[in-house]
Amino acid sequence: MPEILVVAEHREGELREVTLQMLGKAAELCASHGLELCSVIIGDDVRKQAGELAAYCDRVIAYSDPRLAHFSAREHASILAGLLGERTPLLTLMGHSPWSLDLAPALAAKTGFPLATDCVDLLIEEGRPKAVRQIYSGKLFCRVAMKQAAGYLVTVRAGSFAAAVPSARQAEITWAPVPPAPALPLDREFVAYEDAGSGEVDICQADLLVSVGRGIGDEENIEPARQLAALMGGVLSCSRPVVDKKWLPKYHQVGTSGKTVRPRVYLALGISGAFQHVAGMSGSDTIIAVNRDKKAPIFRVADYGVVADALAVITALKARLSAERAS
Amino acid sequence: MTPLDIVVCVKNVPFTQDVDLVVDASGRDVRKDNLVYVVNEWDNYAVEEAVRLKEENGGTVTAVTVGGEDDEEVLRRCLAMGADEAVRIEPGNLRPDGFVTAALLAAAIAPLQHDLVLSGVQSDDLNQGVVGGLLAERLGLPHASVVDSLTVGDTGADLRIELEGGQEEVCRVPLPALLSIQTGINEPRYVSIMGIRKAAKKEIRVIEAGSLGLAPAELEPALIVEGLYLPPEAEGAAMLQGDPAALAEQIVRIMREKGVCNA
Amino acid sequence: MPIERIHFWGVGAVPLFYVLAALSIVAFAVGVYLRVSVWLSARGSHKLRIGPAGVAKLLADGLFGRRIFQGDFTAGVMHLLIMWGFAGLFVGTVLSTVDHWIVHYLTGQTYRVFSLCMEVFGLMLAAGLLLALVRRYVVRVRRLDNQPRDLWILVLLAAAVVTGFFVEATRLAVEVPRLAGEAPAWESSSFGGLGLSHLLSSAGEAEAIYPYLWWLHAVICLGLVGYFPFSKLFHAIAAPVNIVVAGPAARPAQAAGGLPESDETGTEEDEVAAAPRFAFADMLAFSACTRCGRCEQVCPSASAGEPFSPRDFIVQADSYVRAAGASRAYAGARAKLLRRGSAAADLALGAAPAAAPRPSPEQIWYCTTCRACLEVCPVYVGAYQPIGRVRVAEIEDGSRVAPLLVTALETLYRFGNPWEPSKRKRGEWPAGLDVPDLTAGAEAGLCYWVGCTTSFDTRAQKLARAFVRILQYAGVPFGTLGQKETCCGDIARRVGEFGLFEEGVEKTSGLLEKYGVTDLVTSSPHCFNLIKNEYPPANGPLASSALASGAPAQSGAPAQGGAPAAGDGDGESRSPLRVRHYTQVLEQLAAEGKLSATPDGRSMPQSSPRVVTFHDPCYLGRYNGIYEAPRAVIRSLEGARLVEMPRSRADSLCCGGGGGRLWQELEGEKKLGEVRVREAAATGADTVVTACPYCLIMLEDAVKTADLEGTLRVMDLNELVAESLGLVPEEE
Repeated sequence: MPEILVVAEHREGELREVTLQMLGKAAELCASHGLELCSVIIGDDVRKQAGELAAYCDRVIAYSDPRLAHFSAREHASILAGLLGERTPLLTLMGHSPWSLDLAPALAAKTGFPLATDCVDLLIEEGRPKAVRQIYSGKLFCRVAMKQAAGYLVTVRAGSFAAAVPSARQAEITWAPVPPAPALPLDREFVAYEDAGSGEVDICQADLLVSVGRGIGDEENIEPARQLAALMGGVLSCSRPVVDKKWLPKYHQVGTSGKTVRPRVYLALGISGAFQHVAGMSGSDTIIAVNRDKKAPIFRVADYGVVADALAVITALKARLSAERAS
Repeated sequence: MTPLDIVVCVKNVPFTQDVDLVVDASGRDVRKDNLVYVVNEWDNYAVEEAVRLKEENGGTVTAVTVGGEDDEEVLRRCLAMGADEAVRIEPGNLRPDGFVTAALLAAAIAPLQHDLVLSGVQSDDLNQGVVGGLLAERLGLPHASVVDSLTVGDTGADLRIELEGGQEEVCRVPLPALLSIQTGINEPRYVSIMGIRKAAKKEIRVIEAGSLGLAPAELEPALIVEGLYLPPEAEGAAMLQGDPAALAEQIVRIMREKGVCNA
Repeated sequence: MPIERIHFWGVGAVPLFYVLAALSIVAFAVGVYLRVSVWLSARGSHKLRIGPAGVAKLLADGLFGRRIFQGDFTAGVMHLLIMWGFAGLFVGTVLSTVDHWIVHYLTGQTYRVFSLCMEVFGLMLAAGLLLALVRRYVVRVRRLDNQPRDLWILVLLAAAVVTGFFVEATRLAVEVPRLAGEAPAWESSSFGGLGLSHLLSSAGEAEAIYPYLWWLHAVICLGLVGYFPFSKLFHAIAAPVNIVVAGPAARPAQAAGGLPESDETGTEEDEVAAAPRFAFADMLAFSACTRCGRCEQVCPSASAGEPFSPRDFIVQADSYVRAAGASRAYAGARAKLLRRGSAAADLALGAAPAAAPRPSPEQIWYCTTCRACLEVCPVYVGAYQPIGRVRVAEIEDGSRVAPLLVTALETLYRFGNPWEPSKRKRGEWPAGLDVPDLTAGAEAGLCYWVGCTTSFDTRAQKLARAFVRILQYAGVPFGTLGQKETCCGDIARRVGEFGLFEEGVEKTSGLLEKYGVTDLVTSSPHCFNLIKNEYPPANGPLASSALASGAPAQSGAPAQGGAPAAGDGDGESRSPLRVRHYTQVLEQLAAEGKLSATPDGRSMPQSSPRVVTFHDPCYLGRYNGIYEAPRAVIRSLEGARLVEMPRSRADSLCCGGGGGRLWQELEGEKKLGEVRVREAAATGADTVVTACPYCLIMLEDAVKTADLEGTLRVMDLNELVAESLGLVPEEE
């Protein structure tokens, strides 16, 4: 029976959110198109994760071996290529992540299947999968079909779909034999994981974040923002471009490659709202966004929006709060 | 310190930072007639990294792009930054997507001496991030993506990969290898107009796509664009109005309602 | 006894003297040769254009040291004494040599006059040296950074003078008693020596020590001659040359520096990549500098405590070019010797001379190009000019350019302005005002060139709106170039992006030509200065060679090209394009009485009278000599009383916005503007008025950071006029 295959992402013993979200969407597609839902997990000692997966799909295939303890795109691609050759699923889903940026293209090259990355929506039409992606850093949505092939690959953006609801039944878990390691190409050698560290300031703990982006204009405007955060009793944070320009150290960064934060109030100043940033703060209770561009993507996620120059607003806020303190 | 022959893949993309994009008549592409073209931001970091490695270790840097004659400006910029050679693959009638681009690049790069191939993680326009991985597979090279730190020694490349949540993966890759470079790895140098003019005198080697010996199936795009549409307007946000002082007043009030910024 | 000059009195071994003299002359020649060869190693033309203006400056500043007196009268006196004393004694020695070898004419009355003059010159030199030593080591004048070599030169000179007098005294101590105790009438002219001679106890003693004293004096003097070109004294040769060449360029309406030569494409011969390419004029300037420190005193950056000093830059650059010259000489010599075997080369030459360090980033990005240095330098050295050339080299290298500047230049390249990645937004400043667009078919005589900063910065936009309102009120037909206006290229020019500057010139000239603009008025003195003084003629070729030869950057003579022939500060240019700054338009309108009444006929504004002080923008004042126009406008307003800051007109203190500083991330940069606004507030004024968008932005920022908000208001002249005419609506 034709099936959809979900590649489970996991790290340090836990299934990642995106895995459950993929299973949720896949389940929906399977139900409406009469497909089976299968998931695959690769790693070392994944008994627990495999057991979890069993509540969300029709079949679980697990590959377990000590040499698979750390993610290796080469190993994964080799194993999955074999699996896809055997099972020929209609559609294979992976989460969009730094790891899949390595894995997905390698798998596409090995299998010859087309690949659509960072998809925010999926559908099946005329028996073929189609995807919706964002282009031009979120300014436009693009619906794509994929060229005719024996199978199709997509990577899915985290947060695009609702997580799956576990069912009562437990799927059958197949412990597949792990094929020998591929000889070529030579692999990269894992050395260690390192944390960027919380630094002097842990933005994850704050109730109020005053967050600055590229729209702040100049490095010298960081200090007024910092002072504003202090006046407000909040903490200074920022988006990626600010760290790239070395205006602030990395531990201030909110976003997929920085920290995920859930403050009560998130004040975004001069931040455009590219997905990678929004993913890190969309869980905030209240988002107030200030940006000069009324079409900035941030206004889609914000609760309150201000079309104005970030610096002018910072100055006005500081004046307001200083005056209050003085009186 | 052994000299390195480095190949860098670059793309000329529209600059869209503060620009309103308009979908064209076909509904499948963006109107590009009034857009300014620039080097893809990730590729710029990759070129800077390549030139720095060359300055430290000796060797050569070759910049490669898939594009028309107008796209030669991106190669000139690479030459002005310090690349030694530039190659342009003329696509002709093809409309290459990531897959076709990777096929063309692989065919052009395979015969070149390469110790290291660099590309950017993704491009500013299509944001796919597949070319690096596909190219590595085709060239038979080990691959790492989202590299935010790189040093090359005699035994290979020591690098850090940027994971989510502020974590990094430290690893080592033997050369030759293909690395996809993340923004922020370095500070790209300024390219002066004089530098670009001097680079204009250097020759750019042009290869016709058709002469690379690729099968027709490899030149078919993997993704077929069915339609482009603007995202829904910001129905969510309640827009505040007024001059900065009035806005400040409103913002403080909202914050206090939510229990922060207390007097 | 005959009245005459007796040569070599009381001294033997005269041939030895001539041998020593020959050696010292050879040393002198070698030293001068080395220095001059450094000058000649400069790129581009080495022509010395000597015009009447240069000669005039040479007389005033070279001969009389006019500028040395400014601000420090004692210094002027001291230098005059030393210079004339030394020159006089030198001439005396020459005359004496002539007398000895060619024609013996120093006899009788001639000799007495000669003798008297020598005495006077000697005393002058002694007095001057005494003054110098006291100033440096007792009073400790702050701007003089005393180095060992400064002391050495003074000591050596003093030793020469002192020994000279003692030699004379000793001789007189011998001769006078011999001549029956009465100083012969003719010796009385040597009054100094005569006076000293009374200190010596006996003629016999004197006779014994005389030869030693004489030889001591001879060695010291000959040593000075040989040491001359290797020491500070070389400025005696270099400074007059520099005054003649650079003096006329210091007049207003002559351009700023940093212009590379037209052969900038041939860089392969530089052994160091992207090394700064100094011009002939720069090399002259380095040699002429005596480290007096006046430039540092008036430099806005140095006096605000920033890590920059124009003097340090010149000194460093001088070491750099001399070391580079030595390296080149070394390499050349080595190459020649290598043809005869490398061992010989190594033996002969020893170690290579150490390379001097390149000027560091602090040295070059802090400069605002305000020209205050050139304004006070007694030998007409303007540090901003060679700094410009180092900037050109740094931009070409690219790897040490501040990221903010990189972004600004890239934005400038792609979108025709350094502020926003958008051409469209340039047209937003009118905000409802009806501004005729010359590119959309409007016709008008006067074309208002708004400028990038005025178009994009929200504060500066108000300047433009005020000006438009004034023009409309006065019934002056005008138009702008709307969104098609592009950057004139000033920012690129000042930071060293010469290629981008050329592009700006091309685009702007093309635009002006296309729309038939003949009367251009600018918001910014920077645009005004650039288009008026550094653009090629409107109907001439636009090649870089035209720019290189046409611009007056590196020599003193009035330029070919767009610069005015003789007019200073009146804005008249030779080419068909008339370029003015808006203050000149306002001045004209005020003179015509068009700015004296409010629309409803009232002649007094409602607001209380203002006490106003005017901050002279560098590019309006020092660069173009326009000081009176804005003041005339202010005086014509009923509600404004004008007071002057201590540093006004040509002494105006730069606001810190020029030279590309807005796009640098500089340490402590706020302080520069704060110094100025405090000075303004100290005059008792409640308003500081300026006439430049940079000044407006910088001073307004400074008022905030200096906590003067509410005490001092910053206004552009347009805003002041518009307000007094009641033209400004409530919401602005």
